[in-house]
Amino acid sequence: MAIFNAKNRIIECKIVYYGPGRGGKTTNLEYIHKAFTKQRAGEMVSIDTQGDRTLFFDFLPMGLGKIRGCDVKVQLYTVPGQVKYASTRKMVLKGVDAVVFVADSLEIRRKANMLSLRDLQQNLAEQKKSIFKIPLVLQYNKRDLAEQDMPIVPLNVMERDLNSKLKVPSFPASALRGTGVGATLKACLKLTLHHLQKELKWAG
Amino acid sequence: MSGQEYIKSLIKEAELYQSQGLLAQSKDTYLKVLAFVKKSPNFRNHKKLEGAIADRIRGLEEGLVGVNRPALVPDLDPEVQNLIKNLFSFSEDQNTAAMEGAMALARFGQYERALEEFRKLLKRGILPLAAAKNILRCHLALSSPNDAIDQYERWVSGNQLSKQQLEKIRDFLQGLLERKGIKASLPAVDEPGPPEALNRGKEGDVLDISSVGIRLSEGPRKGKMVEFDVTFQSGDVISVVVSADEKELLEALKENVVLPDMQFYSPIAIFKGRGVVSGKTKIRSGPKQGDYMLDIKIESG
Repeated sequence: MAIFNAKNRIIECKIVYYGPGRGGKTTNLEYIHKAFTKQRAGEMVSIDTQGDRTLFFDFLPMGLGKIRGCDVKVQLYTVPGQVKYASTRKMVLKGVDAVVFVADSLEIRRKANMLSLRDLQQNLAEQKKSIFKIPLVLQYNKRDLAEQDMPIVPLNVMERDLNSKLKVPSFPASALRGTGVGATLKACLKLTLHHLQKELKWAG
Repeated sequence: MSGQEYIKSLIKEAELYQSQGLLAQSKDTYLKVLAFVKKSPNFRNHKKLEGAIADRIRGLEEGLVGVNRPALVPDLDPEVQNLIKNLFSFSEDQNTAAMEGAMALARFGQYERALEEFRKLLKRGILPLAAAKNILRCHLALSSPNDAIDQYERWVSGNQLSKQQLEKIRDFLQGLLERKGIKASLPAVDEPGPPEALNRGKEGDVLDISSVGIRLSEGPRKGKMVEFDVTFQSGDVISVVVSADEKELLEALKENVVLPDMQFYSPIAIFKGRGVVSGKTKIRSGPKQGDYMLDIKIESG
């Protein structure tokens, strides 16, 4: 539900970081907040976290400057990943324009990734949106744990588990180190802007 | 891999899961260690190791109790509350957006502030039925059923809400209280005031209409009264949203169809009248995308 203010030529869109609990969604936003200082349009707001678990959502406003004569503003959100916060996830997902799905590479989280992706599909469907049509990027986070000999799922298996039908751009990442975070966001922004161009018939 | 190395690698794994906040997975891994140690009584220091692992499991179990306990929602700063209110009001129509913002505050547990917002909406006659119901919900969420009952009683003795609205609110509150196991005898709603005062406010102005009943004159629900909340009003034209799923209703409410039997509910009155469907537009964006916005011109009241 991007907002296009034709008079002032401002486009505002909403990107939601989705995925299983403890997968690194907040860490993604924290890194973006730290690294993309020029694009920052305000401080990151973490609304009510319990310890380091997100209960409500995180919010980071960004400004991408002028694109085709329009001022493009992006709002990044995270959802709480824990299963019990289903209604908050639905609420945060309302009016979403694009999704970054942050999957956890740890082998023990394989099922949690798949369940969370299905949850995303259902919640989008409730908004009459299709997971196959919305701009979507997958991120396979915590790849760095392989260096500590932790059992992680190989990339080709993650692709098979999560992306065999979706066939969307995917990126290995370590949100803690920042590896792959920028590439994920850029790919998502590219898809989003392309999608909005078509939706809003927005040309320069 | 020797037994010692195996245990070391499992412990490392469990520690990492714990550091990642994956407490259940960490506990499962420690349980594997414990099972292995128990099966190996000849293992050096096995009693000491068993005790240490059991301690860690206990610590994790305590942590899990905390994680699984319903979170206590604190009162957030007014700035953050404003942010929530703004971020979660999507509609272009200002009144509907204000309602969405207030509801978001309630959903994020900011009941006191939400109450304030719902009261403002009710005072301004914006979606009064929804505002009133949410005020009661907030009172109950704040564990103040008596406040909810007092509030209802004040509405009954005042003139903010119409008789029909009060009846709906009474049923609604009764239901809420019953679900909480509270027995309360809510006062019945008295008759509304004299009808001549009902349909007009200041000379020439149509009162703010919060909801509308339309008696259908065709289709399978012929003769039935269907009610809608009014989402927007401009003079004598009101707009209501009809879900795309209500195909028969949409068919019956075609453009230019005359609606001879209508009831208009405003915060201070109810009046009967007739109207005509002056427009029907498919909603292209937002949460109600795909549904229809029906404009109804009030012809007489």
